Amino acid sequence: MKAIEIKDIKFGFGERLLFDRFSLDIEAGEFFGVIGPNGSGKSTLLRLCAGILKPEAGRIHLFGKDLSRISRRQIARTLSIVPQESFFTFEWTVEQVVMMGRNPFLMTFARPTVRDWEKVEEVMGLTGVLELRGKSINSISAGEKQRVIVARALAQEPEIVLLDEATSHLDLFHRLEIVRILVQLKNQGKTVVFVSHDLNEASGYCSRVLLLASGKTLACAQPEMVIKRELLKEAYGVEPVISVHPLTGRPQVLLPPA
Amino acid sequence: MRYKKRLGWFGLVLFLSAGAILEVFTGPARFSFKDLSPIVNFRLPRLGIGVVAGGVLGVVGGSLQGLLRNPLVDPWTLGVASGAALGASIAITAGSGTSLLLPGAAFLGALFAIGLVYLLARGRGGITVTRLVLAGVIVSFLFSSLVMLIMVLSRHTLGEAVYLMMGNLGVVFTKSSAWLFAVCALLAAAGCAWLVFHARELDIVSLNEEVALSLGVDVQRLTRMVFLIGSFVVGAVVAWTGAISFVGLIVPHLVRMLFGPRHALVLPGSFLLGAGVLIWADVIVRNIAPAGLPLSVVTALIGVPFFIYLLRTRV
Repeated sequence: MKAIEIKDIKFGFGERLLFDRFSLDIEAGEFFGVIGPNGSGKSTLLRLCAGILKPEAGRIHLFGKDLSRISRRQIARTLSIVPQESFFTFEWTVEQVVMMGRNPFLMTFARPTVRDWEKVEEVMGLTGVLELRGKSINSISAGEKQRVIVARALAQEPEIVLLDEATSHLDLFHRLEIVRILVQLKNQGKTVVFVSHDLNEASGYCSRVLLLASGKTLACAQPEMVIKRELLKEAYGVEPVISVHPLTGRPQVLLPPA
Repeated sequence: MRYKKRLGWFGLVLFLSAGAILEVFTGPARFSFKDLSPIVNFRLPRLGIGVVAGGVLGVVGGSLQGLLRNPLVDPWTLGVASGAALGASIAITAGSGTSLLLPGAAFLGALFAIGLVYLLARGRGGITVTRLVLAGVIVSFLFSSLVMLIMVLSRHTLGEAVYLMMGNLGVVFTKSSAWLFAVCALLAAAGCAWLVFHARELDIVSLNEEVALSLGVDVQRLTRMVFLIGSFVVGAVVAWTGAISFVGLIVPHLVRMLFGPRHALVLPGSFLLGAGVLIWADVIVRNIAPAGLPLSVVTALIGVPFFIYLLRTRV
């Protein structure tokens, strides 16, 4: 079963086409990584998959359903997004933020039901933010905040979770914490799409990696096939040193001497 | 938590009730059971207009602050008041300052401004919050300068129009204008109810447009409706009272300090507190301040120090 199927899409900002007849399939249950230099189209690809941006031509299917034909609520029940950073104008509590993830299940006038509260409690437990529930979202640390956002994404009970550089401003400990939650999701059969600037992170945890460069696929395969000197040089214009992770055996990237 | 909230609601109701009692029973004419005419003809209508206007300003101010993700927005940001001022100025210079035509013209002017802002804000990819604010500011400037132009060209009405638009509750009702006001009040109530019913979607859109989309909110539709309905009900009020400043800006902040940011609580709370603040301001205007002081002077004199406090401690 294909979780996401992108077929011959065209998309650009203004005159310049970023994606020109771009296609990609992501299988259900994959931990799928997307890497590439700045401006290569990683975030745009995520936004297209989430229906936030609309392709000028071509089709995107979620589990076989045409994205342009399903409602926003329906999309929100299938797929959720964890952005890089979140800003809050007002002083929401952690619990209120997570409860917003239940919106796609609630009618306009309806109040949250017992089931909604239970789900919120469950995902807060899963992401370890239960003890923060009454705190203001603006008073907790960046790592805690990002776990709250992951909890909100899980409260949507999605089949697909998209992460847009969701770990890039976190320290080692909090990074690993988020990745552990994602691996757990994958083990439950969910599809995870993980956009990252950190090649080692993508290589270390993803089952398949897409290397993008200006909207084109340079490679899309297991990390061993993608994290290669020539490919990375072509994408980034830097010739890195590739080594192997002593514990996982996955390829790791080292910067060359300056 | 529960207890604190109940106390908050109780306080808001008490504040409004106390203001309402003072509004009805104080004033230059002594209260007596023999002659109730000043109360029926003068003070009760004032109370009615005050409650509707203050409530609407609070609700729309709170909604727009959420929609535009900006705590410094007020109901006038999107150009409604300037349209009403233009309509009123045209009516006055045309010599038809009757009790029916003046609010009518002001309301038409407000509608005209709303339409213009809407058309300007619409573009490729639909209406966006940024374009909405820019369009509102531009239309405000345009209409304000048109009002100035009309004033300069027709000198004698200068003071009257300014005074009218700076806010007062002293509408003298005739039979037909009372009906028109009743219609406006009903529309305002319906509009406020719509906004309160969409409180959860306002909560979510107050985070960020993309996040709201990914949480299943039809942001386009919500933005359009909140702008149109909010501006419409404010237009229905500004036509009667003029552009009373600061109520729509400060009141939602106070209610958020009391109840937190959920619009399901902020909007009804802002209705009560907005109505209360406006009634109290009117009590001050009528009993303490020199005669004929515009309401906006009082609300601003109370509002500015509070605003500075917010600026220094919260933003």
